[in-house]
Amino acid sequence: MKKLLLAMVMAIAMYLPGNSQDIVLKGKELFGDLEARQIGPAIMSGRIVELEPHPTNDRVIYAGTAGGGVWKSANGGASFQPIFDEHAQSIGAIALDPTDADNVIWVGTGETWTRNSVSIGDGLYKSVDGGVSWEKKGFDKSERISSIQIDPQNNQIMYLGVLGALWGDSEERGVYKSADGGETWEKILYFNQRTGCGDLVMDRNDPMVLYASMWEFRRTAWSFESGGENSALYKSTDGGKTWNKIHAGFPSGRLGRIAMAVAPSNSNILYAALETEKPEHKGLYRSDDGGKSWSHLNKDFGLVVRPFYFSRIVIDPRNPDVVAKAGVFGSISRDGGKTFKNLGNMHPDIHDITFDINNSDRMYVATDGGVYRTWDGATTMEIVANIPVSQFYHISVDNEEPYNIYGGLQDNGSWYGPSRSPGGIEARDWNNVGFGDGFRVLKHPTKNIIYSEMQGAENVWRYDVDRNQSKTIQPLPVAGDPKLRFNWNAPMAVSTHQPDRFYMGSQFLHRSNDMGNTWDKISPDLTTNDPAKQNQEESGGLSRDNSGAENHCTIFTIAESDLNQNVIWVGTDDGNVQVTRDGGKNWTNTTPNFTGLPKNTWCYHIEASAHNEGTAYAVFDGHTKNDMKPYVFKTTDFGDTWTSLATDDIYGFTRCIQEDFENPDLLFLGTEFGLFITIDGGQHWNRFTNNMPATAVHHIEMHRKTNDLVLGTHGRGIIIIDDISPLRAITQEVLAKDVHFFPSQPTIIVEESGFGGTATEMEYVGPNPTRAAKIIYYLKKRHIFGKMSMEVQDHSGKKLIELAPGKSKGINLVTWNYRVKQPKMAKGKTFTFGGFTAPRVTAGTYKIVMTKGKQTYETEIELINDPTSVLTDADRISLAGTTQKLYDMCQDLAYLVYQIDEHLEMAQALIDEDVSSKRTAQPVIDELTTLKKSLVITTGDNYVGAAEPQLREKVATLYGKVAAGFNPPSPSEMENLQLLETRFNNAKEQFDTIRSKRIGKLNNYIVKNDKAPAEIMSFEDFLDE
Amino acid sequence: MKKFSLALVVVLAISSLNVKAQSVDEIVSGYFENTGGKEAWGALEGIKLIAKVNQNGIEFPLEIVQMADGRQYTKVTFQGNEFKQGVFDGETLWSTNFQTMKAEKSDAEATGNQKLEANDFPDALYNYQDKGYTVELMGTETIDGAETYKIKVVKEPMTVDGQEVEDISYYFFDTETYVPIAQESQLKQGPAKGTVMQIKMSDYQEVDGLYFPFSMSQGTKGGQSQPLMIDSIELNPEVSTSDFAFPEE
Repeated sequence: MKKLLLAMVMAIAMYLPGNSQDIVLKGKELFGDLEARQIGPAIMSGRIVELEPHPTNDRVIYAGTAGGGVWKSANGGASFQPIFDEHAQSIGAIALDPTDADNVIWVGTGETWTRNSVSIGDGLYKSVDGGVSWEKKGFDKSERISSIQIDPQNNQIMYLGVLGALWGDSEERGVYKSADGGETWEKILYFNQRTGCGDLVMDRNDPMVLYASMWEFRRTAWSFESGGENSALYKSTDGGKTWNKIHAGFPSGRLGRIAMAVAPSNSNILYAALETEKPEHKGLYRSDDGGKSWSHLNKDFGLVVRPFYFSRIVIDPRNPDVVAKAGVFGSISRDGGKTFKNLGNMHPDIHDITFDINNSDRMYVATDGGVYRTWDGATTMEIVANIPVSQFYHISVDNEEPYNIYGGLQDNGSWYGPSRSPGGIEARDWNNVGFGDGFRVLKHPTKNIIYSEMQGAENVWRYDVDRNQSKTIQPLPVAGDPKLRFNWNAPMAVSTHQPDRFYMGSQFLHRSNDMGNTWDKISPDLTTNDPAKQNQEESGGLSRDNSGAENHCTIFTIAESDLNQNVIWVGTDDGNVQVTRDGGKNWTNTTPNFTGLPKNTWCYHIEASAHNEGTAYAVFDGHTKNDMKPYVFKTTDFGDTWTSLATDDIYGFTRCIQEDFENPDLLFLGTEFGLFITIDGGQHWNRFTNNMPATAVHHIEMHRKTNDLVLGTHGRGIIIIDDISPLRAITQEVLAKDVHFFPSQPTIIVEESGFGGTATEMEYVGPNPTRAAKIIYYLKKRHIFGKMSMEVQDHSGKKLIELAPGKSKGINLVTWNYRVKQPKMAKGKTFTFGGFTAPRVTAGTYKIVMTKGKQTYETEIELINDPTSVLTDADRISLAGTTQKLYDMCQDLAYLVYQIDEHLEMAQALIDEDVSSKRTAQPVIDELTTLKKSLVITTGDNYVGAAEPQLREKVATLYGKVAAGFNPPSPSEMENLQLLETRFNNAKEQFDTIRSKRIGKLNNYIVKNDKAPAEIMSFEDFLDE
Repeated sequence: MKKFSLALVVVLAISSLNVKAQSVDEIVSGYFENTGGKEAWGALEGIKLIAKVNQNGIEFPLEIVQMADGRQYTKVTFQGNEFKQGVFDGETLWSTNFQTMKAEKSDAEATGNQKLEANDFPDALYNYQDKGYTVELMGTETIDGAETYKIKVVKEPMTVDGQEVEDISYYFFDTETYVPIAQESQLKQGPAKGTVMQIKMSDYQEVDGLYFPFSMSQGTKGGQSQPLMIDSIELNPEVSTSDFAFPEE
């Protein structure tokens, strides 16, 4: 007993509030019901890097994406669902355990198509429940896993190909083997810190036979190098113990990336695509003797193009002469690799191809623009329309109602679309405003003009939306200019002070005050201008690759202060942070003032504070120097001193920050692995995970009017967290309270009654934000025991409707669509659909009363009319009055029918019991039945067996159309109302006559014979029944 | 309630002192003990819930009956007309068609899957070993801001679109009180197959010695949910065979 008492005391003590310690809530504890809203778009989908079919079930296929996780289809590729949202979203390889393919899934993270903008992975994951939950299985520093091979006869034997770090040296790469089902691993093939395993293939017919393609490669921010002495193709016939180079027939000299495949139907037939020193040796090789010798078959464009991006060969599982190769358009051969044709028309840049396990005419293709399906051997291609994995580089918002989001995408142009749309945000809502790769897209502050661009500012468009007319306006060199260096993702900015002002950054800051027609350079070269980082023509290694993606020593971010147009910040990709306080006449390089920041770290984003012109935030991304640490700094003195805001809470290298417009301690940080939020100025950061995948957040905007946080993600499209204002109000005082209501903005009663969208069944539709009134409160503890309820009351305290309160610890959000209960309708044989209309309340203040156990908590919310409405006050009075009149008529009629039914029942019961009563009771039944038939439908069904509508149906129809609409009742409706009122009054008179005559007589009979009269509830009791 | 308060405090103490040492069976038995006792749950023959749901302002009442032998019905009332949905008499699963207002049988696959649920009263976890279910503690997870034990339950395999599939669901038990505050399972059919569905439970209240959640909210995880507000729960309700029987014309 003593022990128990002690335990009790300790338990209670643990739940007493701390004395001096601050309350720090983490992640889900804090954010509660604040949920991210993933609005797509899926119209252009995004880069798919890997496809993996189920080995025995042709309905199941998995897709790995470049930045949007793993998606699973259970319906033969008709639609896909995400199954890997909580982990690194860049995928390298997916494998199903051949001995338990329904349940055991392995995912190696980190894309292996190593373009400049590629994301990173963070290890190997396993699911044993078909993808519901995942466990990390090591390889934290592997960055990119290229293949996972599992012995089909013994799932304990596994092999892993690790490509490894792209941007620097790493020993965590090569080929690994596990003999205990992936629990422990041994490195079995490794050369040096630059050479990884590009592909690892197991011969399914003899699991001891393995092929490993090793690749020497390296990327920097300004160059790429593919190839070296260690790039080679190896074979092992003893389960990885020994490896031999199989190069007989390959050219001498250095090799680059090698794609490789074994024909499932004939283990002797191999294909390999080679990147070689001499162009004439590049392309497809075939071996018919398991790699002992090779012949060079083809060097068409499709077989040699960009090996770092397209090294995938796939062979028809039933026919070793049908072979497909990834490429810009994708190639397929039906003569054993001698000749090829392009795959059918689809989004270019094909990364993987898979044949259906039973039918080679059915294929799936992974492209830069989604998953495609074909039923005719890749002649005709169709996109899967529900995979929103678009990769935004940058986004912005406008001030329209609803506001639009603008942004540019990897290989998918520039777009804008609305933050809400009737029926949801669907494909038709998105508008294309630029070709090529898209990056920054900005709306002119006052005119219907959009600025967009393509890679390296090759084109910067000024698009006149109303005239559907575009003009290119990029700054052009003038006399005396050196070559202008624009980043692949070139910065642009509009001014909040001068609507026609438009900035662009090369190595100089360019300013135009006439929307790009004339340009002034308002800075010297603001970069380090390091010539060693400007040899892009030589970039690529064995395959020259000068796309502009490696342009370096460029300006990357521009921020004009909202408080002072002369204060402009500039950050460069080679690590400079420069500021001018006089509109560009003088510049200060603040870079030396950072401590703890490695030299030349890419300044990805500068945010000028909305609170103080000397305050700014700078975010740096070191990943192109193989530095994955977060770097976030703040200055309050124009960059004289910079303070780090980075803590160990942050996971992933950092790219962007957004400061709250009202509370300067509320900051939002985008990293490679998601969104982090601080409410205390950077002392603690919380990862936001409510419906928010661990995808790379490349840019964040906050919408000033709605307080929405809008995220441009590089893999899951646009994600919005609606109205983050509750986060502004969180203080220690609030956190210490059991319940705290946050103030809410007045809610506009929306006057819309449209018809929704047009999306087909398989199309992705992004959800709309709620437009209902919001009741937002903080709960200190998750409510579990006892009743907790919430109701809306009018100012007199009358209960209008009950709401279901949220019970979460942290922030709860309850919505009320400002409607009250529908009228109680007369009971008939069928439904009257107008009766299912819940009427709206009118504008005003309403009381919210929340009861939790014995405690009661109250707040108020305000409803206002739409300021753009055309209704007059008189119109509103007429609408509300007529609605109420019809509502009451419905209920009065219901009560009349109830009384009739009770008397009918009583009379019939009397006859059944006492035949002699029939003389008095039967006329009651006859007359009431006749009356009832004129009041409600008494026959038929709810579809084509419907009976002729009666008074109930007519009143309900008029009620429904008036109550659901947003107009005062029309003269036609009022005339109809008059007709129905007359009919109803007649009916009531008829009933009164029957009651006084026939029922009166019957009641006398009842009294005389000591029988039970009909018991009629009061009207109030009837409504509450 | 008195008895429960004490139990709660004891549990609080245990869980606070030694969160990690819990086994699945301690959690499951803690749940039944804390909510009325295993014996009392075993003696329960059925429940009747009177509840309401509110859809876009349209409120409608529900009566839900679940019996220990697997029989069940949900009765919804619209404009004075009662419609039965999800009625199961042990052999036949049926619902009323809202248009013709006549009863129609569910397809054989749905009926077969319903039969598998017949042994899940009062809860799938009750005597789960006897039913051949496997349960596993997956660790802890934060649900609604509360720390929970996540328990995986694998029941008899179901049949979906002609294929046998595992019937897996997850329970989330509050680590302080050992009552489940959420359940999750993947949608097993339809175009959104694979989507995680979530039911959240709260407002546990006592009914004749047993504790039931009087508020349940069901929806897709991270999406919209539909709250069910329970007004009353009756234990061992009186029912007749005709309440469940398919009405032959």
